[in-house]
Amino acid sequence: MTTTRGRLRAAAALVISACLLAGCSKGSEPGASGTGAAGGDYTIWDPYPQFDDGSDWVKLLTRCGTDAGVTVKRTGYDTTDLTNKALLAAQQSNSPDVLIVDNPVVSTLADAGVLTTTDELKVDTAAVEPNLLAAGRIGGKTYGIPIGANTLALYYNKKILDGAKVDPAAIKDWASLTAALEKVKATGKKGITFSAIGTEEGSFQFLPWFWGSGAGLTQLDSAQGVAALELWNGWLKNGHAPNSVLNNTQTTSWQEFAAGDFAFSENGTWQLANAEKTGFEYGIIPIPSQAGGTAPAPTGGEFVTAPVQTETGRYPVTEKLIACLSSADNAFTTDTTLSYIAATEAVQQKQVAANPQLAVWVEAVKAAKGRTSDDLGTKYPKISQPLWTAFQAALSGSASPAEALKTAQTTAAAATK
Amino acid sequence: MRRAKTVLGLIFTAIMLFPVYWMINVSFTRDTDMRADPPHLFPLDGTLEGYRAVLDQQLPYLGTSLIVGLGTVALTLALSAPAGFALAKLRPKGGGVLSFVLLIAQMIPGIIMAMGFYAIYLRLGVLNTVGGLILADSTIAVPFGVLIFTAFMSGIPDELIHAAMIDGATTWRTFVSVILPVSRNAIVTVSLFAFLWAWSDFVFATTLDGGGDAQPITLGIYHYIGNNNQQWNAIMATAVIASIPATLLLILAQRYVAAGVTAGAVKD
Amino acid sequence: MAHDVTTGVPASPSAPAGGGAGARAEGTPGRGRRGGHWTAWAFLAPIVIYLLAFYAYPLYRNLDLSLRHYTVRSFVQGDAPFSGFDNYRDVFADPAFGPALLHTLTFTVVSIAFQFAIGLALAVFFAQNFRLSATLRALFLVPWLLPLIVSASTWTWMLNSDSGIVNHALELIHVDPVNWLTSPDWALTSVIIANVWIGIPFNLVVLYSGLQAIPAEVHEAASIDGANGWQRFWRVTFPLLRPVSAITLLLGLVYTLKVFDLIWIMTKGGPADASITFATWSYRFSFGSLLPEFGPGAAVGNLLIVMALFFGLLYIRFQRRQA
Repeated sequence: MTTTRGRLRAAAALVISACLLAGCSKGSEPGASGTGAAGGDYTIWDPYPQFDDGSDWVKLLTRCGTDAGVTVKRTGYDTTDLTNKALLAAQQSNSPDVLIVDNPVVSTLADAGVLTTTDELKVDTAAVEPNLLAAGRIGGKTYGIPIGANTLALYYNKKILDGAKVDPAAIKDWASLTAALEKVKATGKKGITFSAIGTEEGSFQFLPWFWGSGAGLTQLDSAQGVAALELWNGWLKNGHAPNSVLNNTQTTSWQEFAAGDFAFSENGTWQLANAEKTGFEYGIIPIPSQAGGTAPAPTGGEFVTAPVQTETGRYPVTEKLIACLSSADNAFTTDTTLSYIAATEAVQQKQVAANPQLAVWVEAVKAAKGRTSDDLGTKYPKISQPLWTAFQAALSGSASPAEALKTAQTTAAAATK
Repeated sequence: MRRAKTVLGLIFTAIMLFPVYWMINVSFTRDTDMRADPPHLFPLDGTLEGYRAVLDQQLPYLGTSLIVGLGTVALTLALSAPAGFALAKLRPKGGGVLSFVLLIAQMIPGIIMAMGFYAIYLRLGVLNTVGGLILADSTIAVPFGVLIFTAFMSGIPDELIHAAMIDGATTWRTFVSVILPVSRNAIVTVSLFAFLWAWSDFVFATTLDGGGDAQPITLGIYHYIGNNNQQWNAIMATAVIASIPATLLLILAQRYVAAGVTAGAVKD
Repeated sequence: MAHDVTTGVPASPSAPAGGGAGARAEGTPGRGRRGGHWTAWAFLAPIVIYLLAFYAYPLYRNLDLSLRHYTVRSFVQGDAPFSGFDNYRDVFADPAFGPALLHTLTFTVVSIAFQFAIGLALAVFFAQNFRLSATLRALFLVPWLLPLIVSASTWTWMLNSDSGIVNHALELIHVDPVNWLTSPDWALTSVIIANVWIGIPFNLVVLYSGLQAIPAEVHEAASIDGANGWQRFWRVTFPLLRPVSAITLLLGLVYTLKVFDLIWIMTKGGPADASITFATWSYRFSFGSLLPEFGPGAAVGNLLIVMALFFGLLYIRFQRRQA
């Protein structure tokens, strides 16, 4: 039945495709993929793709490597991509030696068994502010050290507030803020812009109001929680905030503010450098809580962590690299480049000395709260998602704030059981 | 009459390319004007900041993208043209099943493919190589190529093949010297899309080539997407600059889509 | 099942109709069926090996992911317990299931209908070879050159409620602004518009090449018979274009079913699930929050594959009836 010719053809085809494979592997460089090599290559992954090889950040990494007697291979990934990359690499035992990740991800990675504890690696975390370190502490163990922190506050456009005869210093609670927005609206300008997008970014922006009402993440549909959502909802309905907030990232909401028509923008420490470029006078006030006083805002910023390696002999060098990155001098440089506030009191003071404008932010960071703290840990993502679904539903008009949060609570409770 | 058609054609193209114009507009816009209300229709007091950043940093990425794109085209054609011919004209038993599998293969989400590849590549040591990326990118185009070749080649008159066979040509010779020349349209079509997919792929690039020295342009864009900040004018400028060489290539390729190729061959 | 998906269409009115499986075997350009069979598989061998090497593992993996209870921990350690169809049951019971199914169908059917109709009209238009026609046709492909993050972001920009150009244009003609991306009533329409825009080049190019492959004599003959342009198109051109049209539609379907990045960038499937489709939903499970849920994500992905299978079978039935 068979013909040899056909078989030969098939065999030839097989060889061709094998060649294709072999041809491709010719291009590979040995040791390109991190672990295994006993040599001097140490890999570092960070979420700062905006920095290229000529940047201060990469120079710092290289110098830390040279000081530790090794070569550093650094790759910058997009933040959202980095978590998946880290999990995938860990699954294949190909983790980098040093991993710098967004703080709410630390508990997830720690729970997955991907990270070593600071005890194992003998990293000193004593000087770090406890409220900042909290995001890296799970079940009494610490899984990394913050490289710096940022948080949210309200930027305002001085000219618009002057035009509306609003004194920013008098804004101490929600009522006075809404009253200010009303006055701004009367002058034909726009009120406030923020980001209520259906992602973690939206939850990050909602939390100051949510916590500022006295609500807690374990009970989303409490009266206080509903009040917070009603505040946002009222702003949208009364034209104090634009409808586009539903789709705004923090960058887009910043661009709206930078266009010069908005009185307020809820935004982060990292916009400081851009604020100078807007061409109008601006100021910063802390986000007020409902009853008055500063509301706790969530902390942002990344942690330096050390993923588990099969070859534990690599840890001493990793420890040196981390110590180098978090040393006072280097932290100062890094936090200045990133527009962050340092994680230790000593460096914070140095920052304020160098730039007095940062004082507001240092205060805000001190009052800030980790999203995964309160021992929420890996429960936080399962609460955050229903929460952003809720404010999206309410603001888009498909449910009332109370209904939306009730649904959110049911979902969150089921997911965190 | 013909001039009227050209004018109509220009109007259609203008409508179609309006979003592209908008992108170009944004690429010249200063950060502070990006959300101006009403929007600026022309970048009157524009900035070249975006382009300055791009020209400094992005050119090597373009080269890699070009190599990856062309490599993907070559690999895709080599694999899919013979397969399309076999399915369309030799019609073996089980060919239908194969076509069906090809259809299903395209439904696997790209990210799942990428995760699978990551494990395989790590073991083969082809992670972060251009060759590895070409191979991965070809998986988007190969099933498409086979199905398109099958559809086009089934339109080639059987007499053409009979004639060649009677002349004593082997099946392979018939394929190379009779079928391929009349399949020019299909070849151009498949090449175009293989190139375009490879050019715009992001998922494979970031998963399999994220740490490489030679990265494609889609990863280059990520220079302007920081964890808290996006430089939109630079992102758009990258896209504009990246599309120029590729557009030229497309215009060139489109000239090779010929009218009535099969007809000409029958006459000979 | 053993029916050929793509070649069962009569290539031209004169070619033998490749209807049923049996008829087809005889209808082939004959020569010793056995030998032909083996030669054919020799031509197919590279692709078969390629499929096995590159698709089998990811496919298996997707299936495996959907049948186990994955946590982040067990994903890394690789020891997730087998959980049967639990993930599927969860997905079916999820309140997002109904809307996602409805949106997937609407998104796919409406997108394809418009893409194909516009693409075909443009292909016929450009086939008339006027000055600049080749260049303009090539320019239609430019949207494909843009990384999706760029084109989708540009649409987001244009459709912005407050500073978008579209609402600005509406204002000029005294139409009330529309909350394109942030209103539950419009979000799906908006992503469909953007998706049609992205899909037109594909349909145009494939259909145009198909048109060009039709022998010119056929048109000449029809003109001599006195058929006008419209009749010529529907009675002669369109039937001849059927194999290519069919595959364009089928591929369009497959690609549209799996579109997620466009929707993800423009609306994240929101607001309040107003534009969520299976593909977006699957992505949201696996990668949309800080805590990946690979199991349900893969389950939804597999439902998509089942949907594609269903449409594929429907397509075959349709072809059989036609033959």
